[in-house]
Amino acid sequence: MSDSKISRRDFVKGALTGVGLGALASMGVFSYSPMRNIFLPEIVRKQQDFGVCKSVKVTNISETSWFENSALMGDIKGAGGLLVNQYVYNWPPFGNGKGLAKGSYADGMAMIKEYIPHDLEKAWAIVEKNSVHPENAGGFAALVEMEEMDGTKHKYLLDTGWSYKWMDESFKREGIDKMLQNGEIEALIISHEHFDHFWGFPVAMKYAPNIPVYIPEGFYEEGLQYIKDSGHKGTLTTLKKGLNQIKSGMATYVFDVPIICRVFGEQSLYFNVKDLGLVSVTGCCHQGIIQFADTAYKELKYENDKMYGIYGGLHISPFEDWDPKYDDLVISLGKWGFERVGCNHCTGLLTARKFIDQGYNVVEGTARFRSKSKVYLGNGDKIGFGVDV
Amino acid sequence: MSDSGLYIEERKLVKRWNGPLPALANLAVILVLFYGTWWIFQDPRGIMRMYTPYVGYMWCRWILIMLIWVAYIFNFWPFKRTWLEKTHPVLKGFILTAFSVAIFLGVLKLFFNGFLGNFAIAYFSPAQLTKLGLTEFYAEEYAAQAILMFAAIASWLSPAWVVAAENAPWQKLGQPVRGFSVLMLTFFMSVLVYFVTMHPHMGILFDPWQKYAAIAPPYWQNFANTVHGNFHIAWIMCATVIVWMYETIWERYPFKLIKTDWLRRLTAFFGIFIIAVSLSFFLYYAQELAWGPAVRGTRRLMAPDWRWLHVGEIAIFWLVPALFMYLYCDNAPKRFSTPMNVFLRTVISIAAAAVIYIVYYKTSHLFLGTQKGFSHPQQFPMIPMIWLINIFLINSWFMDSWPGWKLVPSEHTVHAPAEEMQWTAKFKLGLVTGTALGVALYFAVVASLPVLTSLIKVE
Repeated sequence: MSDSKISRRDFVKGALTGVGLGALASMGVFSYSPMRNIFLPEIVRKQQDFGVCKSVKVTNISETSWFENSALMGDIKGAGGLLVNQYVYNWPPFGNGKGLAKGSYADGMAMIKEYIPHDLEKAWAIVEKNSVHPENAGGFAALVEMEEMDGTKHKYLLDTGWSYKWMDESFKREGIDKMLQNGEIEALIISHEHFDHFWGFPVAMKYAPNIPVYIPEGFYEEGLQYIKDSGHKGTLTTLKKGLNQIKSGMATYVFDVPIICRVFGEQSLYFNVKDLGLVSVTGCCHQGIIQFADTAYKELKYENDKMYGIYGGLHISPFEDWDPKYDDLVISLGKWGFERVGCNHCTGLLTARKFIDQGYNVVEGTARFRSKSKVYLGNGDKIGFGVDV
Repeated sequence: MSDSGLYIEERKLVKRWNGPLPALANLAVILVLFYGTWWIFQDPRGIMRMYTPYVGYMWCRWILIMLIWVAYIFNFWPFKRTWLEKTHPVLKGFILTAFSVAIFLGVLKLFFNGFLGNFAIAYFSPAQLTKLGLTEFYAEEYAAQAILMFAAIASWLSPAWVVAAENAPWQKLGQPVRGFSVLMLTFFMSVLVYFVTMHPHMGILFDPWQKYAAIAPPYWQNFANTVHGNFHIAWIMCATVIVWMYETIWERYPFKLIKTDWLRRLTAFFGIFIIAVSLSFFLYYAQELAWGPAVRGTRRLMAPDWRWLHVGEIAIFWLVPALFMYLYCDNAPKRFSTPMNVFLRTVISIAAAAVIYIVYYKTSHLFLGTQKGFSHPQQFPMIPMIWLINIFLINSWFMDSWPGWKLVPSEHTVHAPAEEMQWTAKFKLGLVTGTALGVALYFAVVASLPVLTSLIKVE
C-alpha cells in the first residue's frame, strides 16, 4: 500500500474519531448550558380572547369518589394495577358476579339495562349483588354557576359521579334533581371517562334525559355506549383537543392525555372573571394544574393577566400516595399566583396539607356528608369567585 | 472483544443457513417469546399483570442484571463448560433463565425485603410499609421502585467493570473467585451510587420528608429543575447503554488505542460515564427542542422529571437495534477500518432507533395493553424494551442464538490481532478536522431537530 494511501486512511480514521469526539464534547458542554436557549423558540403568547364573565360559583355536590382508600387500592392491586381497563375491575355498576378483574361492560350492562335510568333503585340493588365493593363507590360532581356581565346566570353540571345511590342522594341534598328536572341546568359537562366522574351518568338522565352533554374526545367504545344505554336523548357533543368556548368568559379546554385505568382525554374549565382574573375549574385535572395554568398563559387573554382561583380535583395524591414530582408541583404552584385554592377530591388530603404548609390560601371546608377533613372543600361546600357564597 | 475467557466469547457459533435467514428466524423466535412472555407476565390484560407498573419494571430490570451476572461476571459458574456445550439450547435457555429468576427471587426476598427491609431501611420491605399505614398496593410499588433503582445502577456498574475495567485486578483468577470479587466490588459501588442518587429521592417519597435520614430536598433540585430521582435515571441509563455500545458496535474503540492497561481501564470506565452524562444532556435538550422548555411542577410531557426519565427511555430505544446488529448481524459492517465501522454502525443504529421509537409510539398501544401518547404517569417504555433485550440476551447467551445458529466444537478461540492504530501526523490532523466537523454536525442536528421532531405525531 502506498504511503499516500496510508496517510489518507489515517486522516479518515482520525477524522471519524474526531467527529465522535466533537459531537460528544458539544453534547456535554452546550446541551445543558444557558447558551442552549439560543436555539429554543421564544414563547409567543396567543392571548385568545374568550370574553369575560361577572362571577363563578361552584357547589360541591360530591367530592368523595370512594370512601375507603384501602378497599379501592386493594381492588386495583388484585386486578393487576393502574393500567387495567376500568370496565374489567367488576366495579359497580358493571358487576357481572364473576369477581374482581373478571368484569366487562357488556355483561354488567346486560344485568341492569332494562332499569336505567327510570328505576335506579332496582338497578342498584342488582349492582350491589354482582359488583366488587359497591358500598365503596361515591363520586365527583359539581354545580357550576356562572354569571354573564349582563347579569344572566347559567348553570352547568360538571360530572355525574359514580354510585347511583350516593349520587342520587347527593343530587337531592343539593337540589340538583329539581334543577335538572325543570331545565335550570343547561348542560352536562363530563370531564373524563373515569368511573368516579362518569359512571353515575344514568342519575342525571333520570331527571334530564334531554340535557345537552359535552364530552372530551378520547372516550372508549364502552363509554360512548353507556351514554346511549343510559337513555340520553339530547345532543352529545364531543369536544376536540384545545379551546372550546361555551359562553363569554367560559370555555373548556380538552387535553389529549392518557390516564390510569385506560381512560384517555380530559377537559377542564376556564373562566375569565371581571377584575379578578382566570379561574380554573377541574374534574380531576389529570393534565396537571400547572399544565392547565401554563396552557392558559400561552393561549388565553384574561383579566389583569392574573391567575386568580382554582376549584376541583387536582389529581396529585388521589390514593394518598406520593411521588417527588408532586413536590415539584407543591414547590412551584406559588409562582403562578393563585389567590384562592378550592381543591378537594383527587388532590388528596396529603397534598392539601402540603399546600397549606407552603403558605397557599387553601379554602377550608366543613367536613360534612362523609367528607373526611376540613382541610379542603367537602361535600355540600361552596366557593365563589367574584360572588359571595 | 478481549480475551477474557468468557464462554460467550470463546464459543464458536455457526449459521445454520446462508444469508439473512438465521437472523430472521431468530427475530421471529424472539418476537414470539417476547409477546408470549409479555402476555403471561406483564400485559395489563394478560395473566399475571405485573405491569402495575413498578413490580413488572423491577422484574425486567433485575432479570437483566441476573443475565449479566450469570454470563459476564460468573461466566456461567457453577454450570460446567461441558454442560454448556452439550445441552440442547432450548433446555439450556430454560434452565439458565429459571436459575437467574431463582437467584433474583433470593435477592429480592432475602436481601432486599427480608434483610435490608426489616433491619435497615423500611422502604425496601412492603410488609414494613404496610405496617406503617400504606396501602398494600403502594407498599409494593414503593419497595419495587427502590429495588429497581438499585438494578438500574447495577446495570451500568456490573458490566462496566467487566468491559471497561477488564475485571481488574482479578482478571487472572478463576471462577467463582473472580465472579464474587467483581460482584462484591460492583455491588458495593452500586450501594454508594444508590445512596447519593436514589436514597434522597426515596427520602421525600414519604410524608413528612425524611430529613434526618436523607438529604431533603435533594441536592440536585436546582440543577435538574426537579427533586425527582429521574434526573439520575437519565444519565445512569445512558451509562448502561454506552457500556454496551462500547462493548459491541464500538468494539471498545477508541479507548482500546490506549496501550497502558491501567490508563485504558481508567479512561474507559470514566469515559463511559462522561459520554453518558453528555448524551443525557443532549437527549434532554432534544426534548426541549421538540416540545419546548420543561415547566417545573407540570405533569407528563412538559415536566422536567418526565423529560429526564425519557432521556433514559430514548437511550434504551438505541440499545435495541445496536444489540440486534451485534448479536444477529455479525456486527456488520466490518469491512472497513475500525473507526469507519464504528461510525457506520453508530449511524445505522441511531437511524434504526429513531424508526423503532416512532413505530413504538404509533403502534404499541395496539398490542401491549398500554395507551397511546408519549407520556403516561404509569407507563414506562423501558419495560417492554428491556424485556425485549432480556429475550435477546437469553437467546444469544443462554441458547447459543438458537435456532439460527448452532454451537460447533472449537479450540480456545484466538482473536485476530487488533488493528494497529498509529498516532500519525495525518491521524492527528484528521482528529482535529473531525472534531471541528463533529461540532458542526452537533449544531446542524440541533438546528434541524425542531423541524424533524414536529413530523412525529402519535395521534
